[in-house]
Amino acid sequence: MESPFKPEITVFHCINAFPDVEGLPLGQGENFSIKAFKLPCTGMVKDVYLLRAFEAGADAVLVFACLQGQCRYVEGNLRAAKRVKFVQKLLDEIELDGRRLALFNIAAGDAAAAAEILHKALPELVKLGPNPAV
Amino acid sequence: MIVGEQKSIAEIREIIAPYRKLLILGCGTCVKTCFAGGEDEVAVLASALRLALKKEGKEIAVEEFTVERQCEDAFIQEAAAHISPGTAVLSLACGAGVQAIARRFAKTPVLPGVNTTFIGVLDKQGLFTEECLGCGDCKLAIFGGICPVTRCAKKLLNGPCGGSQKGKCEVSPDLDCAWQQIIERLKILGQLGNLRVYVPPKNWKSSHAGGPRKLVREDHII
Repeated sequence: MESPFKPEITVFHCINAFPDVEGLPLGQGENFSIKAFKLPCTGMVKDVYLLRAFEAGADAVLVFACLQGQCRYVEGNLRAAKRVKFVQKLLDEIELDGRRLALFNIAAGDAAAAAEILHKALPELVKLGPNPAV
Repeated sequence: MIVGEQKSIAEIREIIAPYRKLLILGCGTCVKTCFAGGEDEVAVLASALRLALKKEGKEIAVEEFTVERQCEDAFIQEAAAHISPGTAVLSLACGAGVQAIARRFAKTPVLPGVNTTFIGVLDKQGLFTEECLGCGDCKLAIFGGICPVTRCAKKLLNGPCGGSQKGKCEVSPDLDCAWQQIIERLKILGQLGNLRVYVPPKNWKSSHAGGPRKLVREDHII
C-alpha cells in the first residue's frame, strides 16, 4: 500500500515571531516534515530564496512574519508580503501553483498560533500534492 | 537611466525553446536599478526557468552571470568564460546591451529578455518615469529643467494647450501637465520671461527620426 503524501514544508520565519520551529507545539508523529530558516526579519526573504526552496525540493514554502505595524524594522514584514505575492504570481505563471507559497502574520512569540496555522494549512498543501518540479 | 521591463516568462520560454544551454546574462547598471536585469533578477529568472523546465521534464542547462555593463566591451569580456559552443545568451540588458553582446560573440545566439522602454528617472521607490526622449537638441535651459518634448502629451514648445485641469493633462488624469510644472518652476526661478522666448518648430533630424545616430569624440580616439 502506498504511504500517504507527507509534504516537505520549508519555513522562513522572523525570530521575533518565534525563535525556532523546535519550540512550536506541533505534537507527535506529524504527517509533514519541516526545514526551517530563521531570519532576524522576514524583510530579508528575497524572491530567489523562496524559489530556491522549491528547487531544493520543498512542496510548500511558508513565511511567518510579525503582525502588521509590529515589525521591529518597521516595514520588513510588508516587504516580505510583497515578495511573497510576486513569487506566487511567478509560480502560477510556471504552473507550479502559487498556493504552495504563503505568508502568515503572527504576534511576537505566539508559537501556538504558528503551530495552529501549520495544522490548518496542511490539508490544502496535501491536496496540492508533491512539487511537480522535483 | 535606461528603464526596461522583464519579458513575461511565457515569452522568454518561447524565445529560448530551441536551445539546450542557456546563459542568463545580467547587467549591473540601468536595468539593475529598475529591477529588470540585475543580479537578483537573473537569479530569480534562472530559478523560475529551472523549475518550469524540470516540471516538464526538459533538460536545459541554465547558468547565471552578471557583468557591470553590457554596453561596454571591457565589461562584456568577463562573460566570455561563461559562453561555450552551443550556449545561447539570454541578455537581461537594454537593447543596446543585447546588441553589444551579439557584436562581441558573433557565433552565439543572443536573445532579449527585457523590453527596453524609456530614458527615465526613479521618481520614488518602484516608480520610474520617462523624462527624456533623446531628441539630440536639448532646450531644458529655457523650460526650467522640465522637458515638454517628453512630458507634454502634445509636445508643445510654446506654452500650454489650455486643456489641463487642476494641473493634470486632458489626455490622461494620471499625467501631470508639463506646462503647468514649467510655469511654476520658472516662477520659482524668477525666469517667467522665458515664456516670451519663441521656440521654433523642432527639427527632428537630430532625433532618431534622422536614422541611427553616432557620436564621435575625436579627442578620445587614438
